[in-house]
Amino acid sequence: MKRRIALLISLMVALGAGVAAPANAAPVTLTVWSYGNVFQTKLLNAYKAANPTVTIKIKKSDMDSNHQNLRNALRTTSVPDIAALEVSYIGEFRNYDAYFKDLNTMTPSASTIKNDFLGWRWSQGVSPAGKVIGIPTDVGGLAVAYRRDLFAAAGLPTNRTDVAKLWPTWSQFIQTGVNYKKNTGKAFIDTAGTVFAAALNQGTQRYYTSGGSLVYRTNGSVSSAFNTAAQAVTSGNAPGKYEGGIGTKTGQFSSGWGTGLQRGTFAVVLAPAWMLDYIKQQAPRTSGKWDVAKAPGSYGNIGGSQLAIPKNAKNPQAAWDFIRWYLAPAQQLTVFKSYGQFPTIESLYDNSSVTGYKDSFFNNAPIGSIYVASVTGVHNIPTGKKDRIIDTTFGQAISRVMLGKQSSSAAWTQALTDIKKSIGQ
Amino acid sequence: MSAQAVPSKSRIKFKSSNAPIDKKPRKKIAPMRRQDRWGMLFVSPFFIVFLAFGLIPILFTTYVAFFNWDALGGAPEYIGFANFKELWSDTYFWQALRNTFSIWFISTVPQMTLALGIATLLANPNLRAKVFWRTVLLVPNITSVLAVAIVFQQLFGYDFGMINLAITWLGYHHIDWVGNQLASHIAIATMINWRWFGYNSLIFLASMQAIPRELYESASLDGANRWQQFRYVTIPQLRNTIIFMMIMGTIGGLQVFAEPMLYGGGMTGGDSRQFSTLTLYLFEQAFFNQRYGYGAVIGIAMTVIIIAISVLNYLIGRRIATDGTK
Repeated sequence: MKRRIALLISLMVALGAGVAAPANAAPVTLTVWSYGNVFQTKLLNAYKAANPTVTIKIKKSDMDSNHQNLRNALRTTSVPDIAALEVSYIGEFRNYDAYFKDLNTMTPSASTIKNDFLGWRWSQGVSPAGKVIGIPTDVGGLAVAYRRDLFAAAGLPTNRTDVAKLWPTWSQFIQTGVNYKKNTGKAFIDTAGTVFAAALNQGTQRYYTSGGSLVYRTNGSVSSAFNTAAQAVTSGNAPGKYEGGIGTKTGQFSSGWGTGLQRGTFAVVLAPAWMLDYIKQQAPRTSGKWDVAKAPGSYGNIGGSQLAIPKNAKNPQAAWDFIRWYLAPAQQLTVFKSYGQFPTIESLYDNSSVTGYKDSFFNNAPIGSIYVASVTGVHNIPTGKKDRIIDTTFGQAISRVMLGKQSSSAAWTQALTDIKKSIGQ
Repeated sequence: MSAQAVPSKSRIKFKSSNAPIDKKPRKKIAPMRRQDRWGMLFVSPFFIVFLAFGLIPILFTTYVAFFNWDALGGAPEYIGFANFKELWSDTYFWQALRNTFSIWFISTVPQMTLALGIATLLANPNLRAKVFWRTVLLVPNITSVLAVAIVFQQLFGYDFGMINLAITWLGYHHIDWVGNQLASHIAIATMINWRWFGYNSLIFLASMQAIPRELYESASLDGANRWQQFRYVTIPQLRNTIIFMMIMGTIGGLQVFAEPMLYGGGMTGGDSRQFSTLTLYLFEQAFFNQRYGYGAVIGIAMTVIIIAISVLNYLIGRRIATDGTK
């Protein structure tokens, strides 16, 4: 019934528009499946204003559900016109390129914009057969957001250059956390387990080789990142207690996390560029107390998304027009300035409006130049079909170590067994 | 006009179809009368819906159970009983089963007791604003599970949860309501209890009001006090309702999904599967790990378990019912 009414209305609108507008501007409704904050209202409104015949309907789900729904829909015709894919799932979907439009075959071809984009981020959306299925929206990068007031109270330096010198490596970062905890009795970082992804993504390889074979067991950077994280979640505990190591026991994005940010329960958050906006939203009262310093290892990346068009999309051309507009340099610059998500357009990295960008919430830290430096060192890490399952399983293993349920080596062994059980190899 | 034409048409059809049946007396099925046909029409929605959303999925699930089935991958691979064999030796499945029963037990017993108590209070004829209280009791039940989960996550939070704040104030150490197995079961059971005790109270209340007043009058003439009246009149009279609630509660309890899913441990029900339930495990295997065949086997196992428990419930219920007539 609803659908019929909608059809009737769209028919009436179509007739009405047919009189007023030229024939090529037939009204289009773009359906978009998304999660988190991939799309920003400010820009959507701008697009609608410039293209009155286009309606954009966004269905937002939880990150995992978004990709599960898409996976179940891809064989059917009930697919969105645009699908937002997170980096931890892009490895899966780019291996099933038959279900997506090859954006190289669209008009204009994706190859015409390819050179604007950061190389390794672009190639994360390319299938093994060379089809382009997703255009990167943003790049995480990696830095450390820290509370200057809390650092001062703990007797640590507050200047961002001196702060970065505290932790050239992860083990020095953990040691800083242990000292902070000793001096203040409080947690150093929000969730110590986040060290795992941060350290792992600084390598050249994660769970897969570029040929698609699984190496999570044998790749030394996986076990080394695991051990670093295990150390972070157990260091600085009182003897016999499991208090979360240098972090709290509260997970990121949970309700307690926001409270912790607001109250200064911890002094540090590992911050990809998109994290800065979460901090602003969750803890508006801490404005000016934060600053941003280089991460251990000085570069890194967590997160990022791409936009794809499913094969059975009803309005592929309109979707492609929108994607190209939304990810064009001017729009990415607006998103960066308004919401902190870092652009994937490489030419923007020497643009003075990016490199000179400062944010008063973070004590006027030169956020632009910090993240430019952090994303340029990142390697082109091969992604694979089961990335998300493997990530999740290692994450749980680290949580077991944190809570004292298992030793680091027992948790590692169980994680390997669990992954094998889940993905079959 | 056209409405009149339809019945007359059908009447002709009816007569013609009736004729051959008269010729063959061997067929013992009585010809369908006209009312019966209408009857079939009226019951057909149930059968159509059952066929579309009940039977066909069940049959298809059974079929899928014999395959290695990946939604996006190539053709499903037939693997015989391999999924079934794996389930038998799958410690995570048995853990999910134990968790399910544990949460079911912790949620059912207090829930029934509380519901019975509240129903007794509401059955008091001197109570004022009856409709108000009854409505209030239903509010938790119509609240979105998501909203319930968000609120309870805050109550049971580790650092700033209200319950942990209260515990610290009393001088005890924080309880990890997510990481600790028993604590997580209690928290999830509390969520379930909160949603369902009001609904159960109203069902108890309805059957309490059907108990004849004379029974209470004669009991009080015999000198029974309030408690004795409750114990020897109300409870025996509610026997059937209690059995019904137990069966419904068991079926619901075995399928508990939304509460543990939204509680904050992801699809695995926590880092060591401390609150993974059967349905959650099914969902994890089918939709997160993309093992649709294995998920189907878990579904079949759940069906078998639920049927077995329903039969057991029925047998116990019948015994109690016959005891009651003595």
